[in-house]
Amino acid sequence: MNHTIRATWAQCKSEMLRTARNKRFVVFSVFMPIAFFFIFTGTMNTDVTVDGVDWIPYYLMSMTAYGVIGASLTSFAPRIAKERAQGWIRLLRITPLPSGSYVLSKIAAQAAINIVIIVLVFVVAGVSKGIDLPVSVWVESGLWIWLGGFAFMALATLVGSMRNADAVQVLSMILYLGMSVMGGLWMPTSTFPHVMQEIAKWLPTYRVGQGAWNLVGGGHPDWTGFGILAAYALIFVIISSYIMKKQEAV
Amino acid sequence: MNPVIELERVSKVYKGKKAVDQLSLRVPKGSVFALLGPNGAGKTTTVSMILGLLQPTDGKVRLLGGDPRDAGVRKRIGAMLQEVSVIDNLKVSETIELFRSYYDKPLPLDYLLKVSALEAERGKMASSLSGGQQRRLGFALALAGDPEVLFLDEPTVGMDVTSRQLFWDTVRSMANRGKTIVLTTHYLEEADGIADRIVVIDMGRVVADGTPSEIKARTAGRIISFTAGERTSDEELRAIPGVTGLSRSGRRVKLTSDDTDRLIAELINRRIDMRDIEIGGGGLEDAFQALVRKAE
Repeated sequence: MNHTIRATWAQCKSEMLRTARNKRFVVFSVFMPIAFFFIFTGTMNTDVTVDGVDWIPYYLMSMTAYGVIGASLTSFAPRIAKERAQGWIRLLRITPLPSGSYVLSKIAAQAAINIVIIVLVFVVAGVSKGIDLPVSVWVESGLWIWLGGFAFMALATLVGSMRNADAVQVLSMILYLGMSVMGGLWMPTSTFPHVMQEIAKWLPTYRVGQGAWNLVGGGHPDWTGFGILAAYALIFVIISSYIMKKQEAV
Repeated sequence: MNPVIELERVSKVYKGKKAVDQLSLRVPKGSVFALLGPNGAGKTTTVSMILGLLQPTDGKVRLLGGDPRDAGVRKRIGAMLQEVSVIDNLKVSETIELFRSYYDKPLPLDYLLKVSALEAERGKMASSLSGGQQRRLGFALALAGDPEVLFLDEPTVGMDVTSRQLFWDTVRSMANRGKTIVLTTHYLEEADGIADRIVVIDMGRVVADGTPSEIKARTAGRIISFTAGERTSDEELRAIPGVTGLSRSGRRVKLTSDDTDRLIAELINRRIDMRDIEIGGGGLEDAFQALVRKAE
């Protein structure tokens, strides 16, 4: 047992190292959100409020969520697909590492990476803009985005279960950009036509943002948002584990 | 003594096609066992079933007396599989260290780097290695847990001559230390150099089983090759007494026979239209091809 923990930890460390070395990850999850934040808070009138929330903290939350979601979809999903396509998983199946440990270490590593993204974006973007929020709000909004990240890890696992690794790359990029725009992470949904606003309410991207927006506006995340994110996570996990079981049972 | 690997009338059907057909095998502890056959003979399917990566459609597979999917069994085996790439963004030494962490009593990193001749590449990203180097990394990973049973599925594909030499030397020293080695290859020569038992399979069935010298004795035929005249048909040639096999590429015909001296006389007697005649001992490869063809 002790040994399995050691192996899982080694696996976890390797996963984190690999993510940190992945240029795609660094660009999409760290540089782009921070760059977007400075562009859109620098060029726009900073006195604007969105649903009563100041624009700068509002957009900081949007971009942090955008970075965390990007980490799952632009590096986590393609990596899962690639490891399956290139036979790596087949090789792991004959080692004593339990398949549960493999999955667990991947999720744990990604969760740790997500914390790093959140802290990095908060510190670099938020502090440099002099955003003044109570410590509890920083912690709670960061925690909310971090929790929301799990729904996207589940989505990444589902997308990554497709057989064609190149298609996974393309599909996850489409999902990432499409859902981020439609969920109001780039531009607030209040600037959208009514129909688009209604659609956005059902998107996990919007729900991750909304909880954090509420927090920085002095409110609380609502349970509907939590429920929707949890439901998405559950559905993605169920479908992807069904697909993977089916693919393995040959 | 209990065999390390036991297959009892194992079959595997893929999409209505029998890849492995009623195969029974017993591999005793400490032996070097080669599964030999042409591409598509069912070697990899057989190894995959022994490793628990594929489930047999029919029959029973036991590895080290248990189910290959048990963690207790997986601790004691190592494998070099085909078509396994390396993981990206990890260095050679990091990849080996990761694999070492899976096992209770791993072999030392320096030893693994040495036997895979990757000492100079230890700090390189695994994904930047050449194809042959990646194969050698696969070998280091297979050895990481100091396995009792080592599976090598077409191990030397992509390796250069010097790597092959070191590779076989290492495998031989493993065998001398009492490890059981299961090897698949489509080169009889490779199997001949190391195996103490060869099972030849084709179309999922055993066509020959014995020590390398027994297999070679069975395949000891000689070859007459020539460019045949246009009107010479395969049927006509096959009907000649002493012809045990025939293959043709374009007009060039290769006849195998147990007695080429008699056969050449017979061919001339029958006024077969032949040009550029060559008579040869027939390399191991030709002999092996003949063996497989005979089974068909």
